[in-house]
Amino acid sequence: MSATYTTKKILVKRSYQILALILIVLAGGLLLIPKHPKHEGISPELFAKNILSTERYIASDQLADRMINEDPVLLLVDTRESEEFRNFTLPDAINIPLSEIFSDELNPYLNQDIYDIILFSNDNFTAEQAWMLSTRMGYQRLYILDGGLNNWFATIIQPELPKETMSQEAFELYSFRKAAGKYFGVANDTLEIEVKPVKKAPVKKVITKPKKKKRMPEGGC
Amino acid sequence: MGPIIPNELIPAEWNFVFAILIGIAFGFIMEASGFSSSRKLVGVFYGYDFAVLKVFLTATMVAVIGLHYLDYLNWINMDQLFVQPTYLWAAIVGGFIMGVGFLAGGFCPGTSLCAVGIGKIDGIVFTIGLFIGILIFSESFLWLQPLYENSFLGHITLDETLNVSPYLIIFIFTLIALLAFFVSDMVRKRVKKVFY
Repeated sequence: MSATYTTKKILVKRSYQILALILIVLAGGLLLIPKHPKHEGISPELFAKNILSTERYIASDQLADRMINEDPVLLLVDTRESEEFRNFTLPDAINIPLSEIFSDELNPYLNQDIYDIILFSNDNFTAEQAWMLSTRMGYQRLYILDGGLNNWFATIIQPELPKETMSQEAFELYSFRKAAGKYFGVANDTLEIEVKPVKKAPVKKVITKPKKKKRMPEGGC
Repeated sequence: MGPIIPNELIPAEWNFVFAILIGIAFGFIMEASGFSSSRKLVGVFYGYDFAVLKVFLTATMVAVIGLHYLDYLNWINMDQLFVQPTYLWAAIVGGFIMGVGFLAGGFCPGTSLCAVGIGKIDGIVFTIGLFIGILIFSESFLWLQPLYENSFLGHITLDETLNVSPYLIIFIFTLIALLAFFVSDMVRKRVKKVFY
């Protein structure tokens, strides 16, 4: 065995030892470095971006259309308290009160990527809170019914009759809303205030004869 | 920050470009390291060559230590990385079949394609066998489905299951790997040398 071969062998062995040492130091370093608590969920930058976007809002007409067409990926979530939920809610909605969105039983409904979840409450407020908390955790496909149930009432259940001067689209939207209201079991017609035509008596044309102006006395006698 | 594609730092279409580039690099390095030779690969079972063991354990260590440092620096979010789900009995049975195939054929699926790439006849025969195996598996899938799907344990990891710090597991794993290198070297020195 030549001297060069022996030196080479020692060098190779030495390099393996150094590599092994580096690995131990790096792995041990992970154990020793000070730990800092990590924020859960998505990064603050992404969260801010999501909040600024208005893509999370779904209009009541759009929701009604999807409900009527029986969209299979639609899941309605009522974020109000269970008492309010029992009194009134949207068809096929499930109740996840704001205080229970992270409970073991109800959380899997929100933390999923199969359904488009529509959160709603009386107005936007509670649904927005639920959306923010859930989005912060990185949950996907969450939307908010814009204006909540109040707006649902104002548009689908009791749509406002467009004025005569309004565009054709406004009338089409109105008839869609009326039809949607009927689909959801509301007898729309009863909610309307009947306007009885008032019979006006024919107005007699009165021709008034212009009175002759008294002529001012001219001159004196 | 990372992973870069799920966080939309670059478009998802780049997935395929990266896959091809990494695939080419992986194949090239495997072939350059002699992994297209079935004799080198099965050396680990006969004790005359432990390159496979060393390469795979080193790769795992470098990846796991590197990823955790990146995670510590907030350059990558470990929670967003995909964890392969565990199907316990499917993994045990599949692992056994794979091991027998590896030992009998002298290749694993990746290295067999590497051998095909340089025109090795045993590699080509192995790959044909691999496709026959896929056909048999697909045709008998209904029969195998209970085994395939039943023992699903979810996306579990060692640190969560054992409730131990992942850093401690990495450190212990590093020590075990280095010990394995040392022991395998001792075994190799005692076993009769095979020239190939």
